[in-house]
Amino acid sequence: MGSSMSSEPLAALRRPVQPLPPRPRDYAWAWAAGVVALLLGITWHLGINFAALAAGLGDIAEYVHRYSTPNFTDWSRYLALMGITLATALWGTAIAAGLSFILAPLAAKNFSPHPVVYRGAREILNFMRAMPDLVLALMFVAAIGLGPFPGALALGVHSSGFLGKFLAECMERVDKDTCEGVASTGAGFIQRLAFVAWPTILPEGLGYLLFILDRNVRMASVLGMVGAGGIGFELYNSLRMFNYDQSAAMILVILATLLLIDHAASWLRRRLE
Amino acid sequence: MSIITVRSAAKRYPNGCQALNGVDLMIQDGSFTVILGPSGSGKSTLLRLMNGLETPSSGEIFVGQDLVIPKNLISIRCEVAMVFQRFNLVDRLSVLTNVLTGRLGRRSWLGTMFHLFRAEDMAIAANALDRVSLTDRVWSRVDKLSGGQQQRVGIARALAQQPKVILADEPVASLDPVSGEEIMLLLRAICDQDGITVVVNLHQVELARRFADRVIGLNEGKIVFDGRPEQMTPQALDTIYQRGDDAAAKREMALALA
Amino acid sequence: MLLPSAKWRWPSPSGLPSWKLTGPLLALLTVLWATAPMVELNLPRLASSSGRFFHFAGQLVEMPDWGYFPQLVLKLIETVEMTVLGTFIATLVSLPLGVLAASNTSPHPWVCRLIRDLLSLMRAMPELVWALVFVSAVGLGPLAGTMALAWVTVGFLGKIFAEAIEVVSPKAMEGVRAHGAGRMQVLQFAVLPQALPDLVGTVAYILDHNLRSATILGLVGAGGIGYDLIMSMRMFQYGRLIMIMAAIYLLVTALDRVSDHLRGQVIHGQLYEQ
Repeated sequence: MGSSMSSEPLAALRRPVQPLPPRPRDYAWAWAAGVVALLLGITWHLGINFAALAAGLGDIAEYVHRYSTPNFTDWSRYLALMGITLATALWGTAIAAGLSFILAPLAAKNFSPHPVVYRGAREILNFMRAMPDLVLALMFVAAIGLGPFPGALALGVHSSGFLGKFLAECMERVDKDTCEGVASTGAGFIQRLAFVAWPTILPEGLGYLLFILDRNVRMASVLGMVGAGGIGFELYNSLRMFNYDQSAAMILVILATLLLIDHAASWLRRRLE
Repeated sequence: MSIITVRSAAKRYPNGCQALNGVDLMIQDGSFTVILGPSGSGKSTLLRLMNGLETPSSGEIFVGQDLVIPKNLISIRCEVAMVFQRFNLVDRLSVLTNVLTGRLGRRSWLGTMFHLFRAEDMAIAANALDRVSLTDRVWSRVDKLSGGQQQRVGIARALAQQPKVILADEPVASLDPVSGEEIMLLLRAICDQDGITVVVNLHQVELARRFADRVIGLNEGKIVFDGRPEQMTPQALDTIYQRGDDAAAKREMALALA
Repeated sequence: MLLPSAKWRWPSPSGLPSWKLTGPLLALLTVLWATAPMVELNLPRLASSSGRFFHFAGQLVEMPDWGYFPQLVLKLIETVEMTVLGTFIATLVSLPLGVLAASNTSPHPWVCRLIRDLLSLMRAMPELVWALVFVSAVGLGPLAGTMALAWVTVGFLGKIFAEAIEVVSPKAMEGVRAHGAGRMQVLQFAVLPQALPDLVGTVAYILDHNLRSATILGLVGAGGIGYDLIMSMRMFQYGRLIMIMAAIYLLVTALDRVSDHLRGQVIHGQLYEQ
């Protein structure tokens, strides 16, 4: 490949140019065409008409205008409801923390006492994750009755599926050497958790906890729609009755609270690092 | 009295590597034994069989009269402590807490899971730290310490176990020569003063010569030398470090004698 | 080292656990205790209603209503379609928005701040609330649901993409610019090749998340299986309910495994040349 410096540089020019190797077969265009076809098919099947949508753009401006005069006369009630929503999220996160505390070590391959326990714990976490929190809330409301606590339970069970998985993955990343060091002193399962697993993953774990709290506050605001307390129920009714002024006010309250919590969580997470 | 008995131990790893090939060994109580050998000779595996961190594919290991099996690992590890090449401490915890983890084998999980320890355990830990001269750093996080200091914490943890045997898997490989010297002196002192049996894996032949009562040479999973340091002639060393490839053998020797 | 004579101690100079640990913990417990009445925490009621819960769960284990199966499949397909279409549209839209929102590729710092805040607002509220809004705008049906999913996803992907662009090595951009490349070319040859690969893993995660959301958007009439779900619960049609719940579980789990596998592949670099 590399030509040596001959005394006749022009000789290199006289040699025929090495042809490029054949280009590797590229099926990207086939993939792209397939994806486009799929999406067109989906659009048709769903009955979505983008042309009509574009034509209705003017209507959208008018629609947005309906929200431009928010009505805050009931603001104290909205704040109270938002407070309940936040409390629901907090309790849901606390329940999630409790459940994950038990499940995460069992679902970590390097700490779990037995492979069967490991698989079982992972499946339980998967199941808790798979059921949408709203569905769980519906079930808990049907069983316990209306009110914010079934909502908190639903949030707790669902988000512990996520938190448990995150924490278990954190634990699996703990240095093998550190685990062996403490194991070599004769420490048992719970002692290894207390001295290796939890101290090592604490900062990262708290970060995940804040992420879950953030997410739960978001979900708590809609749980009210199924009767699980909080501002969701009010908003649902208000929008169904086309009461745009009140809806706008409530949406602003929700937005403001969520943005606040978002910033607080990010700030806390940065302080942990 | 043999405190550790290895009977026809063999170990084959899932990836096909035959680490140990039928090893018979008896470690005498109170002795200071050094195991020498090139990399891949099975030194680590042999040591880790003794406290159950590895299980043999065939053969048996005894600590005292007890067979080393998964069921009695905790009681075995109360008697057999280990010091590691990379110290294997919990970085975010303090020196004292790390040393206290040495007491965990003898305590139930109930109090210790909240990091609560009895006054007598604290006293034992304080003693151990005094032996390794680290009392002034007792509250520091271990990852803020130098390599030599971290290894001393490792030794303190081992001492806190009040073991009959201390196994040391290449304890000085990650240290500079001066710290390494300190650690070997410490281990020898522990053996002489406390009567604790010490088994050390080493690369450096010179350290073996100076500190060991007995040297065991391991090559490709078999014992090829077993005797006093004075008996380590150049021919004996050749047998220990011999490899299929001459150049590799010479390299190993050069590293070992450095 | 002075040791007080307590029988049990913590490994700290005072013998007590550090305030950095116990302080926040106590504060948290206090807040929980204070908000318990707001949440209507009623343990006796909880204990007594566990009987009702098991009765309810027992009722679920009825014979599935197989006649419902065709409609179930249709609704499931609709749910998946909403997810895919919504996510795809969102990915397309968030590419230019991400470029505008990244401080190193944005044409003007004001544009950057504005787009960033806009993205933040878009993802601030959950999809269900946006679905409510879109339903009252464009009517019932999967269009509202698709729009809601796309809207929130743009807010999320736009931010992620902007952050990925901001950590692109400036040397690559300089190099391409030094050869006289225009703005679009710099984007195409220096920025996107570095920023795009991370996006693949994020899109996989988003698809997973969006499928979960899509299953409940029907609650407010925005398409998908959510509507059937709540109706069957309200009308005590447990034969259908169990089928719907099982279907949602299987669908979400399947995508979860695929997404995990894909993410593993991306992390180990098997998806593109090294």
